[in-house]
Amino acid sequence: MSEHDHHDAPPSPYLRNVRSAEHDEALAAKVQKIEALLTAKGLVNKAALDRLVDLYENDLGPLNGAKVVARAWVDPQYKQRLLNNATAAIAELGFGGLQGEHMVVVENTPQVHNVVVCTLCSCYPWPVLGLPPTWYKDAAYRSRVVVDPRSVLTEFGTTLDENVEVRVWDSSAEVRYLVLPERPEGTRGLSEEQLVKLIDRDAMIGVKKVQTS
Amino acid sequence: MSDGNTRLTTPDVAEMPALCALPRKSGEMVFHTEWERRAFALAVSLADQGQFEWSEFQQQLIASIAESEQADPQNPSRGYYESWLLSLETLLRRKRLLDGIDH
Repeated sequence: MSEHDHHDAPPSPYLRNVRSAEHDEALAAKVQKIEALLTAKGLVNKAALDRLVDLYENDLGPLNGAKVVARAWVDPQYKQRLLNNATAAIAELGFGGLQGEHMVVVENTPQVHNVVVCTLCSCYPWPVLGLPPTWYKDAAYRSRVVVDPRSVLTEFGTTLDENVEVRVWDSSAEVRYLVLPERPEGTRGLSEEQLVKLIDRDAMIGVKKVQTS
Repeated sequence: MSDGNTRLTTPDVAEMPALCALPRKSGEMVFHTEWERRAFALAVSLADQGQFEWSEFQQQLIASIAESEQADPQNPSRGYYESWLLSLETLLRRKRLLDGIDH
């Protein structure tokens, strides 16, 4: 029996029961042996490996996007720069790493709700949102959100007034979209750091609104 | 991320197709144990230095995952990073980068 490490699955609390401690130790020992050999050959070094893991684990999550959104909420000039040239404004905060792809930020207002999809494959602004959720790659989401965005949004628990215009943005290899959600009511007194915690990935894809609780 | 390390965060790694996509939860990577982290970093680092093409590793990974799901797709014989490690080992042996490892 072995751990089924499926995509988007949370870490299994049963991992230790499924993969025996002995088996895990054997795998750990094997990795250590390979790393030691490659280190001795001068092909890898511990510091670089640590930095790489840190980069993927901590710098590529949706937290970066949340920081961008919170800054735009508290700083109108930053927001303007973000809407004018998202790639540059996002780079101001130190986030980047895409290779030539262009970032575009679209703003939600009481009249307009934006939602992002990639109908062709799974283009995604991963330097600001991390790795895409499984459903983002599903054929069902990719095709349905274009023809019937309101129903798809309802399934995510997002019901919009009939007079709200829904705009669907199709990402491509060249352009990646990020939704700037509306700042919720009753958040006037919150600091930028507190706002960051409210903003989740789904709101920046546009399938949900930012909730205060 | 402007420390000269940005080449490591290529879409090649982050956007692998569903069949071999990195395990994640809400956009964050999921590692269960430290060896999974190390195995991940080793493969990405070696590819980044040009020891092998990422596509070459990815092909190996797809084959390894497919093999583990052959008997029962709902209950593969190996976890994702076990297949990852196996692929890395296979590729490194092929490139003769594991010469001198005792076993």
